[in-house]
Amino acid sequence: MDVPVAHQFQSPDYQYNLNNPPWRKLLWVKQNYPDNYVDSTFLDELQKNVNVHTYDYWKMVYESGVITQHISSVVIFIAIFIYLQQYSLAASHLIWSGSLLTGVGYIFCDFVMTRRQHAFERKRVAKSAIFFFSTLLGLSPILKTLTSQTSDDTIWALTVCCFLANVLFHDYVSHSRAHVKIPGSLSTNAAIFASVLLASRLDTNLDVFGLLSFAVEWFALFPILRRYLQELSPKVQVTLTLLMLLISVAMFLRISKAIVCLYMLGFCFITFICPYWLIFIQKYKNEIHGPWDEARPRLQKSKRNLYRKRST
Amino acid sequence: MLYNICMVSDFFYPNMGGVESHLYHLSQRLIQRGHKVIIATHAYGNRTGVRYLTNGLKVYYVPTLVIHYEATLPTLYGFFPLLRNILIREDIDIIHGHGAFSALCQEAILHGKTMGYKVCFTDHSLFGFADASSILTNKLLKFTLSDIDHVICVSHTSKENTVLRAALSPRNVSVIPNAVVASQFKPDPSAADPNWITIVVISRLVYRKGMDLLVAIIPRICNMYRNVRFIIGGDGPKRIDLEQMREKHLLHDRIEFLGSIKHHDVRNVLVQGNIFLNTSLTEAFCIAIVEAACAGLFVVSTKVGGVPEVLPTHMINYAMPEEDDLVIAISKAIHMIRYEEVDPSRFNDELKDLYSWSNVAERTEKVYDLISQTQEAPLIERLRRYYGCGLYAGKIFCMVMALDYLFWIFLEIMLPRHAIERAETFPYKKYRDYFNNNRSPFSQLSQQHELEEQEDDDKK
Repeated sequence: MDVPVAHQFQSPDYQYNLNNPPWRKLLWVKQNYPDNYVDSTFLDELQKNVNVHTYDYWKMVYESGVITQHISSVVIFIAIFIYLQQYSLAASHLIWSGSLLTGVGYIFCDFVMTRRQHAFERKRVAKSAIFFFSTLLGLSPILKTLTSQTSDDTIWALTVCCFLANVLFHDYVSHSRAHVKIPGSLSTNAAIFASVLLASRLDTNLDVFGLLSFAVEWFALFPILRRYLQELSPKVQVTLTLLMLLISVAMFLRISKAIVCLYMLGFCFITFICPYWLIFIQKYKNEIHGPWDEARPRLQKSKRNLYRKRST
Repeated sequence: MLYNICMVSDFFYPNMGGVESHLYHLSQRLIQRGHKVIIATHAYGNRTGVRYLTNGLKVYYVPTLVIHYEATLPTLYGFFPLLRNILIREDIDIIHGHGAFSALCQEAILHGKTMGYKVCFTDHSLFGFADASSILTNKLLKFTLSDIDHVICVSHTSKENTVLRAALSPRNVSVIPNAVVASQFKPDPSAADPNWITIVVISRLVYRKGMDLLVAIIPRICNMYRNVRFIIGGDGPKRIDLEQMREKHLLHDRIEFLGSIKHHDVRNVLVQGNIFLNTSLTEAFCIAIVEAACAGLFVVSTKVGGVPEVLPTHMINYAMPEEDDLVIAISKAIHMIRYEEVDPSRFNDELKDLYSWSNVAERTEKVYDLISQTQEAPLIERLRRYYGCGLYAGKIFCMVMALDYLFWIFLEIMLPRHAIERAETFPYKKYRDYFNNNRSPFSQLSQQHELEEQEDDDKK
């Protein structure tokens, strides 16, 4: 949008007449200027692009690690499903390694990150974990026959949609927060639903239980660990990104080389090309502020969270 | 020079509001100056067809589908045949549209320019640039105002805002403020309760009018001053928040809710107060504070939008839209009222001269003189103006406008001009003279009103 510059349109005749009192931006004064007079102070209070901050390329490349980590995790999960289906991976191996890694991750979070855990909280966590997994074990025969009437194509299509929702709606907050909560419910639910659909294609109850317990650990608990690791140091973040990339590539190499190529291209695009693109289009940003903006009412601190803007 | 003017807007009587009263009073004054004025608006319920208001103001209530807050469903070409018929019947020279929200007005501007009439537009509101609805409305406004003869804004801030939104040349935008009929808001110093200092708030109770600030400051003010009470008029979604606040702090004897107030009762509510409080977060031109000052109240308002331009400094205390600042400003005002450092009952005499409808009509007439001298642009020039709206939008708007032109040619052939019967012009002067000479009690009231206004005119 072309913002007209005041001096281009300034009315010429009036300011040269020294007998005229200067024009004032008031409505109740009868001034000797015509109604469409444009003063040199026209649009003085206009502020352009005050809230815009410039981005640094390498910092953005570093930050894109969060996204690529998540996409790698989805790819690894799909690879594990394919291995299970092709009997390359035994369900018992999956269950034991999954539980072991979860235990290690939990102890890591517990001792290294937060030092406030009390003994009874650990007992509560252990109790709820046992309860959860036994329920899952009990439900796996039902979940195995959940989609027996549905065709394969529907399952693959639904799974793709759900994983897409998971990737799109995931909470990619990368700066550190003191208290990390479970990642956004829409994305986690989509991922769990997708894994239920996939699990229902497997043959034995143990397979189903293995995949589902791994899915819960992978999509609900692993993101929390990733956030803690992120806060640790930048080197850990970069190592984690590369590690996950390597694992997903290694796992998919045996399945399909085309997917590996596509995935590597996608990874390069997100990590290197997208930040450059964002910085490139920042120059088209045109943010306008002025006295006509709706003011934000400033209340005392204690009341600020109670009165949020509603769409009235 | 005398013109035949057609005012077009979605917002008119029987709806009550700022735009509506602006239209009514401006039209009445223009009729008094000798012009012919008709108004085209959409039908309100059963009220369709042609109606005559005071002094022969002819209103066409066009039957259209109404959506959301009295705005018509925009159909682009649906209104064209009827509008053309109205304009030819009444021999119109100038079309004057009001209100950016009004789809009827935008369509009338588009069709008016296609038919070759002189068109001008008055903008009554401020818009932001950041949220989705603003971006869309601004683009549409850019479209309709690509080809317009003149724009009128109600304050200097509104002029800056409109120039940016519609990418206009600032020389084509005039600032003509709103006005108030001062005789309808005469002060009454005896009506306020001398035992209390009464703060009056009359507005729609919505977020945009700063109701959150009001909820925050009322308990603090009531706590600080023992003899201050509040009267709150108007209704809206935020009324619940205010009532909750009253319950929480047990201020039932200090706050009174009057609900929705009819326009003719506003003055009677205003005179019961000493201070008028306005906490809006954005205002193009706040007519409410002018009405309050006329009625003899001292004004405290947030310093947003066009508000700093409206009242002289001795009639108003400003505050930032912040809770603490408002409390300070109100405290100062209470102090001034208590120790009689200011005499608000004299404001009416001052404001009577500063804001009068005859002044607005005179300035509007100058705008009409200006635009009636402009040359009519050829079609190719008009297409060029629409083309500059944007990379993709420009091309779409050109197509819309070209189709409009073809539709007009079609109408000219199918419903030719000579077949449309011209309407009789209402005999304004004869009607007024008849009423002035006639001694019926009904006419005495309007006669008194007219005489008062003529006195004010003569004084100038």
